[in-house]
Amino acid sequence: MAPCGRSWLANEGSKHLCLLSWLCLNMWVFWRTFLLYYRGPQYYYLRQMLGLGLCVSRASASVLNLNCSLVLLPMCRILLAFLRGSRKVASRKTRRLLDKSKTFHVTCGVTICVFSVLHVAAHLVNILNFSVNYTEEFLVLNAANYRGEDPRKLLFTTVPGLTGVLMVLVLFLMCTASTYAIRLSNYDIFWYTHNLFFVFYVLLMVHVSRGVLKCQINLEEHPPGCFHPNTTLQEDIPVPEVFEEPFPEYASERFPGGLAEPEPFVQNNFVRICTEEPKFQSHFPEAWLWISGPLCLYCAERLYRYIRSNKPVTITSVIKHPSDVLELRMRKENFKARPGQYIILNCPRVSALESHPFTLTMCPTDTKATFGVHLKIVGDWTERFRDLLLLHSSQDTEILPNFQQRNYPKLYIDGPFGSPSEESLNYEVSLCVAGGIGVTPFASILNTLLDSWECYKLRRLYFIWVCREIQSFRWFADLLCMLHNKLWQENRPDYVNIQLYLSQTDGRQKIIGEKYEALNSRLLIGRPRWKLLFDEIAKCNRQKTVGVFCCGPNEMSKVLHKLSNSSNSYGTRFEYNKESFS
Amino acid sequence: MGRIEWAMWANEQALASGLILITGGIVAVAGQFKGWPFAAYAIGAGVLVCLLEYPRGKRKRGSTMERCGQKYMTAVVKVFGPLTRNYYVRAILHAVLAVPAGFLLSTILGTVCLGIASGIYLLAAIRGEEWSPIEQKPPERPQLGGGTIKQPPAMPPPRPPAEARKKPPLEEAGHTNPVAVTAEAE
Repeated sequence: MAPCGRSWLANEGSKHLCLLSWLCLNMWVFWRTFLLYYRGPQYYYLRQMLGLGLCVSRASASVLNLNCSLVLLPMCRILLAFLRGSRKVASRKTRRLLDKSKTFHVTCGVTICVFSVLHVAAHLVNILNFSVNYTEEFLVLNAANYRGEDPRKLLFTTVPGLTGVLMVLVLFLMCTASTYAIRLSNYDIFWYTHNLFFVFYVLLMVHVSRGVLKCQINLEEHPPGCFHPNTTLQEDIPVPEVFEEPFPEYASERFPGGLAEPEPFVQNNFVRICTEEPKFQSHFPEAWLWISGPLCLYCAERLYRYIRSNKPVTITSVIKHPSDVLELRMRKENFKARPGQYIILNCPRVSALESHPFTLTMCPTDTKATFGVHLKIVGDWTERFRDLLLLHSSQDTEILPNFQQRNYPKLYIDGPFGSPSEESLNYEVSLCVAGGIGVTPFASILNTLLDSWECYKLRRLYFIWVCREIQSFRWFADLLCMLHNKLWQENRPDYVNIQLYLSQTDGRQKIIGEKYEALNSRLLIGRPRWKLLFDEIAKCNRQKTVGVFCCGPNEMSKVLHKLSNSSNSYGTRFEYNKESFS
Repeated sequence: MGRIEWAMWANEQALASGLILITGGIVAVAGQFKGWPFAAYAIGAGVLVCLLEYPRGKRKRGSTMERCGQKYMTAVVKVFGPLTRNYYVRAILHAVLAVPAGFLLSTILGTVCLGIASGIYLLAAIRGEEWSPIEQKPPERPQLGGGTIKQPPAMPPPRPPAEARKKPPLEEAGHTNPVAVTAEAE
């Protein structure tokens, strides 16, 4: 299907524009730095010693600076949650761009890896040239101590060399642990190695502190390549051999100073006379300027999050649901959250270092301070957490409820953080598709609608929930029935259009429960037929913009994404918003 | 931390190190640097490591994502039996392969990375992990009747004995109504 039309542009346009501008920025930074070192007269003598390796290494270094600073910004989750929440700060298009923050982080990370390879290769050539082209004329320019010094010694004994090697190792560990397969199977390895980023940044700050590459500062008194009346400069500077053969095109016409011939300025028809020796100085480490801003911002945010999450929550109740789901209700002072946001739970008794994100299924309101999460028990952390919680609630019932509460394990929460599902209340028509436990963000939306539905922009909500087992519907069957009844009472029965699908069945159980009549009649067996559904929604909401929200398995979201991008004959536009967890 | 499978991470690291070795080796051979025989060795070692590490091993719990087209290499690697299954052997092999490449500047990083991978393999071996090939599942036969027939009958239905199977003689004329109809008195 050819991706064209208003829908595709609405869905993919701003994302691709952002990517294009980031790409152009990188290319501009690379090109500008390359030209500076290629042509700049202040690097003339350094260039003679090192050749093209100097230009490539510095250009890739500036791209690395840019990306190392940009990579931290998408991880400032509190800042992003704030941007999402404030309507004045950002339009909906910008807020939708925030959904792609993790993808942007990954893109910057991959760029860092690629340009690190280039940077390391160019610097290895530089090290070789420093060793081979040791100059007796300008001793201060040298990084080697004598001609022909072993390049490996230069690599491992100088500060930039050693920090560079360590940074490559840290990057290697982080990169190999961040592949999709590892994140899916052993998330712990990814999490612990990724926290090495702090070591990486410290090493980076030290790496640039030595200022090995120097520029010339007295250009007026000593124009590069000039003729000194007492000594001739040209014969003493040897031709870098390594660089002459592989790059024969970089002969004298490219480098105006003249590399191979001893009489460069006869062709220029004038000879410049210099008055003093060249003076060299290392410039201020640029990397400190690039990195310090985002690093301080990120550290400030981590500190704020740590302080805010230091007070434990009070667990009010633990409810066991079928199909391995546990509901946890809690209270905390001054905790405010919007529907669709998620929190990160940390229980020191289960594991001191691990924290896990869970979407809020019930948000605190003005009247009720309790909020809740639904956890599905998969994996060792949730299993141990469940054991701790249920062990305490199954204690002697003669004991007062207050005492029981004090026996719950201590739980700390971090957040709340934003997610794409928050936008569903800001569309006139929303289609929310949930797969299994992915219903949690929409549950908080439904809870909010149960409180009051008139104050939001939303006029119609299509709620599709696909599950494998019929018992899973019981997690929110009460909520759905209550909402349905309330809307009937207030004469808006068509506000929420509920469709429940049971994707796998052995044909035995057909109803969810006897008291859930409203849901039983809306239960369909088999997988939903998405194309028909989209056509029906388009037909009933002509010329409108429908927000599509998906939280479920990847195959389902791919199908929905494709359908949202395709055009229909009713002029309806589908804007796709996806929640991603791993 | 209890259930981490280190072998998967070591596998990714070894594959990446193999690629680094090949890249460094190619650069040194192309530039004809001093000591380029080491670079040629590095290319060979890198290729061997990549081929050995390409097929991902099966996880103990859960499903494993296969690499694209890995089933051909899985068959080859499986042939070596305990040599490739045991991670101690792999750890030692990687350590030994890494050392000669350390003498050349352009391949020294490959040495260090392969050394780290060897260390992680050692850790995996100490924790008792093993490489097991990901087998192809036999394709499921498509079910008749769209899956609604769970247990088709194995025996034919019981039939009455031969005499009873003979057709009964025709009834006298006169059709018996299935439903009693009373003629309405006019």
